[in-house]
Amino acid sequence: MAVTATPASQASEAESGRAGIELRGVTKRYGGNVALREVDLEIRDGEFFCLLGPSGCGKTTTLNLIGGFVGPTEGTIWLRGRRIDNLPPHKRPVNTVFQSYALFPHMSVRDNVGFGLRMDGVKRAEASQRVNEALALVGLEDYGDRTPAQLSGGQQQRVAVARALVKRPAVLLLDEPLGALDLKLRQRLQVELTQIHREVGTTFVYVTHDQEEAMSMADRIAVMNLGVIEQLGTPFEIYRRPTSRFVADFIGDANFFDVNVDGSVAVLSDGTRVPLEGARTSGPATLMVRPESLRIGDADSAPAGAVPGRAVKSSFLGTRVRVAVHTEASVVPLMVAMHGEAQSSVPAEDAEIAVWWAPEDAIVLDSSRGES
Amino acid sequence: MTDAATTVPTAERRRRVLPAVASYLPFLPAIVLLGGFFLVPLGIIVCYSFWEVVDYNVVHRWTLDNYHYFFSVTAYVRTMWATLWVSLVATGITLGLAFPFAYWLSRYVPRRLRAPLLVLAVVPFWTSYLLRVYSWLTILGQKGLLNRFLQWTGMTHHPIGLFLYDRSAVILVLIYLYFPFAALTLYSSIERFDWDQLRAAMDLGATPFGAIRRILVPQIRPGIVTAVIFVFIPILGEYLTPQIVGGTGGVMIGNLVVNFFQAAEYTRGAAVSLLIAIFILLMLVLFRRSLSTREAYGG
Repeated sequence: MAVTATPASQASEAESGRAGIELRGVTKRYGGNVALREVDLEIRDGEFFCLLGPSGCGKTTTLNLIGGFVGPTEGTIWLRGRRIDNLPPHKRPVNTVFQSYALFPHMSVRDNVGFGLRMDGVKRAEASQRVNEALALVGLEDYGDRTPAQLSGGQQQRVAVARALVKRPAVLLLDEPLGALDLKLRQRLQVELTQIHREVGTTFVYVTHDQEEAMSMADRIAVMNLGVIEQLGTPFEIYRRPTSRFVADFIGDANFFDVNVDGSVAVLSDGTRVPLEGARTSGPATLMVRPESLRIGDADSAPAGAVPGRAVKSSFLGTRVRVAVHTEASVVPLMVAMHGEAQSSVPAEDAEIAVWWAPEDAIVLDSSRGES
Repeated sequence: MTDAATTVPTAERRRRVLPAVASYLPFLPAIVLLGGFFLVPLGIIVCYSFWEVVDYNVVHRWTLDNYHYFFSVTAYVRTMWATLWVSLVATGITLGLAFPFAYWLSRYVPRRLRAPLLVLAVVPFWTSYLLRVYSWLTILGQKGLLNRFLQWTGMTHHPIGLFLYDRSAVILVLIYLYFPFAALTLYSSIERFDWDQLRAAMDLGATPFGAIRRILVPQIRPGIVTAVIFVFIPILGEYLTPQIVGGTGGVMIGNLVVNFFQAAEYTRGAAVSLLIAIFILLMLVLFRRSLSTREAYGG
């Protein structure tokens, strides 16, 4: 299909390499509560950016600040080098897909999508053309004459996307747009949204509390907690190289050990000495290992630095088997993820085994940071 | 289903019709009430308006004289237009005040404070209507609060009689009396509104006022129409307020009806009442379309 719903007019003005959106020292207070604490953030032009975190972490506040629905208490917001935090929402080249979709129930789908163009005074013929393109982009060409109430949840969501994109914004803000949908539909729309993003090339800023959603869609993710950005990076970096216990815990599953670092060795609480990759500053720290990085075997044949333990329970989960292992080195049982086809090597319950991992799979976290 | 029904024998059909009749039985009290207290009196008024009075007695002789008489007296016709005008202005201002109030209440007031505020708006209803109207005499009168305040501040030295006994005084009191009706009705329809829609409209380029006009107002139109009906219709028939605070300068069509009946000119009074009723009926027919669009929005 002919896709012309690109932010052509604005994109040509943009200088390459310049940050799309920039937050500089932004703080937002509601009364005595600090929703956002001196946040500096750069979102690149054209990227699919996720703000990820638990409720109350400040991700929606960040989105509302960019959209202009609230103003910063301190700091400034810039869009392609232009300061926008003093502009009202309707004067910003930014459009939003709301969590509730916020479609106008008294208008047809076509009028909903065309609303923004009508507000801009776009000529009828051109507006009609652009509405058609936007509806085609989300695969709803034949639904223009229906009312929102006559559409399914997924279709309503698509209308909301079309309505926001038809204005060819420099930035599209999405506030948990898939939150109200069931899992299967959500996964399908995740793929559709990334395809739409590729086709229009607009910067997407996507808010979600669902780490899997963020991982599957985003170019880069900002993990937020208690009003600050805990870590910013690609899904791979955030999963493999978390910089705080909060991020490690929030993204995927993680096993934690309280350790004492001694040069290039970490001493677990049961006395086991495990090798580390590279030398670290000595002292107490937290060691994090992902469940799929753990190996299980007989205590006799285990390599040096293996942690002795006892298999407590194993659960078959289809693609993988999860084994809970009780050890003296951690308070809660370790979670070990084994390949689902490795059924024969799954230890029996109460079997005495050992657990070990490759040094490069163990992440040393500063134990003072990111306690959740 | 319809095919089967046509071939059903009559006995069978009767057995089906009887329960159908029986199912209407619970409505009997409503039918009796509506018939006895509404339709029958209305029928009497209709008949009266086409009869005539001879020596203070109603004579059953059909005539159009009552209507002829009303339209032949300039003062009456002028009162009719004035009544329409006063009702329109009072309704307009009442809704103009009630809408921002309802908007503010449902958007900016925390949920726990809304009920107390609504109760405050309704508190005047706990006192009698007459008392509420009379209390305005003590505010607007020659020795009323307003005059005393103006004299105290030195803005005037003599009491101003202007505040009372004219149409503006009537309109002011009518607004006061009917504000709660409009506020409650509008609040109940604005309350359920999804405010994200206004944010979305502004996000798409609408000004705050434009968003309210294009998004909120069309969706609460049934509530607005209901408020207009609740305020405009009773005001059309008002007679105590114009009598008490309006005096001779604030006469409305309701006062004419009262005057006619007090003078034993029942048939002329009936004709005027019916004119009001016909006008209201016309208005309701006009509004019917707006009210039925409720379904089109999917509730």
